[in-house]
Amino acid sequence: MPEAPELRTRGRWPPPEGPRVAIVGSRLPSPYGEAVAEQLGADLARAGVTVISGLALGIDAAAHRGALLGGGVTVAVMGTGVDVVYPAAHTRLAEDILAAGGALVSQFPDGTMPRRHNFPARNWTMAALSDVVVVVEAAERSGALITAEAALDLHKEVMAVPGSIFSPLSVGTHALIRDGAGLVQNARDVLAVLGLMNEVLDDPLSTPKGLGRALSPGRDGILSHLSDVLALSAADIARKLQLPVAEVLGRLTALELDGAVRRHHDGYVRALHGGRKRA
Amino acid sequence: MLAGLDVRQVEVQADRANGTPKFLLVGLAATSVKEARERVRSAIKNSGLEFPPQRLTVNLAPAELRKQGSALDLPIAVSIALAGARKKAPPRTAFIGELALDGAVRHVDGVLVAALGLRKRGFESIFVPAADAAEAVLVDGLTVIPCANLKGVVDHLLGTQLITPFVDEESGPTPEIGTLEHDLAEVHGQEEARRALEVAAAGGHHLLLSGPPGAGKTMLARCLPGILPPLELAEALELAQIRSLLGDIAANRPLDGTRPFRAPHHGVSMAGLVGGGSGFAMPGEISRAHHGVLFLDELAEFQSPALQALRQPLETGRVTITRSGGSVVYPARFTLVAATNPCPCGWAGDAVRSCRCAPAAIDTYQRKLSGPLLDRIDLKVGVRRVKLETLASEPTGEGSAAVRERVVAARRRQLDRQGCLNAQLKPARLRQLAGLEPASRRTLERWADQRGLSARGFHRAWRVARTSADLDGAEHIGERHILEALGYRLQDVAA
Repeated sequence: MPEAPELRTRGRWPPPEGPRVAIVGSRLPSPYGEAVAEQLGADLARAGVTVISGLALGIDAAAHRGALLGGGVTVAVMGTGVDVVYPAAHTRLAEDILAAGGALVSQFPDGTMPRRHNFPARNWTMAALSDVVVVVEAAERSGALITAEAALDLHKEVMAVPGSIFSPLSVGTHALIRDGAGLVQNARDVLAVLGLMNEVLDDPLSTPKGLGRALSPGRDGILSHLSDVLALSAADIARKLQLPVAEVLGRLTALELDGAVRRHHDGYVRALHGGRKRA
Repeated sequence: MLAGLDVRQVEVQADRANGTPKFLLVGLAATSVKEARERVRSAIKNSGLEFPPQRLTVNLAPAELRKQGSALDLPIAVSIALAGARKKAPPRTAFIGELALDGAVRHVDGVLVAALGLRKRGFESIFVPAADAAEAVLVDGLTVIPCANLKGVVDHLLGTQLITPFVDEESGPTPEIGTLEHDLAEVHGQEEARRALEVAAAGGHHLLLSGPPGAGKTMLARCLPGILPPLELAEALELAQIRSLLGDIAANRPLDGTRPFRAPHHGVSMAGLVGGGSGFAMPGEISRAHHGVLFLDELAEFQSPALQALRQPLETGRVTITRSGGSVVYPARFTLVAATNPCPCGWAGDAVRSCRCAPAAIDTYQRKLSGPLLDRIDLKVGVRRVKLETLASEPTGEGSAAVRERVVAARRRQLDRQGCLNAQLKPARLRQLAGLEPASRRTLERWADQRGLSARGFHRAWRVARTSADLDGAEHIGERHILEALGYRLQDVAA
């Protein structure tokens, strides 16, 4: 078994004593996957777990963001040099990670640009640094599955979050569960595996911050028609409410401005964390 | 002779002198014109006319202008025939046409453009190929003599047998409108994109449709011409000139009032898209789409230089192209409808199929789409694939005719107020003519702040809001109009 490679680091390294959980998954997740990763990241961070991920688009970014929202420490294991943030759009996220007492680490020399063949090695490192690897949404041939395989080779625990059987992004995670990966329905499932059952969180996932407000009736009928996992288009909602699409589009934009809904390229979802700053 | 949409007048002089029989053609003639000697000689002989057995000099004036094209065949032949009969050509009369060896007068491109230019220069009658007479007669106040063959023209000029001037059977030129090929009534669902089409049509805004293959982006785009008002006479004439240059005017319907829809393939060259060619540039797809719709499917697959070249016309409605012969300006005020997949394979974010693209590939793809071109598109909407099984149960909406009525009313409001469509308003006039209510301004500024909107983006959202208000019949831009406009800014959404 190869040893964990020497790491270049930025920020606080090593992270505070305590369990480490990697949250990995698709770069192009559904709103559901993103919401789950963010929620898991937040709840695990709140329970004192260091959240590890790869700073990539999609699930990785959501996990980091969640951990920051939960006020915890998160570590990005990069496939580039620690001084090369990839994708560049995550420069701000990387800064936030450092500011919150987390770290950017990489096994590659400074200045290493993104190279396709470097990422599998990075995935292996991520598994090596973690106690548990949680996979949230992975298509059939996802890089997240490489991380899961590495975790198995390293005798680490692999867990997976189930998804819709209609979604191509569930193929990888469901295959993991079929092969014996632990099923994750909430952060407690992960904490149980870590032996942390009686710690800080009484009831993770049941009362996400902001959700209560978003669900409160009255203020705007549109919200009650929105899902927090499945993206709906303005047209879908207009049809349900029997309203002109132009009006619905405008009202959705108003809700978006208030942070109560989020827009993805395929539609709108209810935001879990109302009014928060985007990473 | 034509230089783009400009007419260069060429005077043809013929002189016969005693000496060895010889046919000289002087006056900076290009190859196509030098060849006229052979066509003219044969055409004159085969028309039963005498080709003078003398030293014959034909001069094309002004001498410094380089002459091109076969349209000078007819005037050269006429000048020789008249010189033989010791007659002069009638005043304020022009001749255009190519000759066949048997003396028949053949079609040439650009007759309408030539006729318009000659009329402006004070010409009163014009001899054109019979095939092109319907084109020339679109020009008011010009007597059009349709020429079938050289013999007929010479007989007419010598007064032995007159040709009846060509007259349009109908009273005056009116644009004719073809039937709608694509009607919005056939579109299932897609209410958001339908509304965006309506806004695009009403305000002259450019539109980007983003969605996986088979989502109906092409069908939606094809519906746009049908919800635009028919072309005005002046617009139809401008478009007919472009078609005339390209020899693309339907003989049975010279003045077409249908809005053009051009959908060049993504392999199109820059010259094909914006115009080009040797000597003087010919119009490209963007000018053929003048006053109509230019549809670019798979936007990211187009060559970058071709897309970059769209920037000037998108801003100004005109394109300037410089070639060896000189610069020409063609009109190109089109509505751009672009369609794109979310990633190279097209399936990112689809509910059923999964995306197989490397992140770097998606990055490159998105980067190609972003930047200066996308910055000039006002409306961006996502289009989702409708499952085949549910296609039939998706509601169909209004037909194109009903939408067109609203579009026409909104356009009239804009033209009455400012003389142009909202998309063409300069920021200064926008501030002056499209005042924002305080609440509207606050909302727009809040969004700009939250999403880091550029000044250009700020004004674009403002213009779209003005169009939304015009569709509403509202005098001021309310908050709901701003909010709708911001709803079309898909690009402000973080990935």
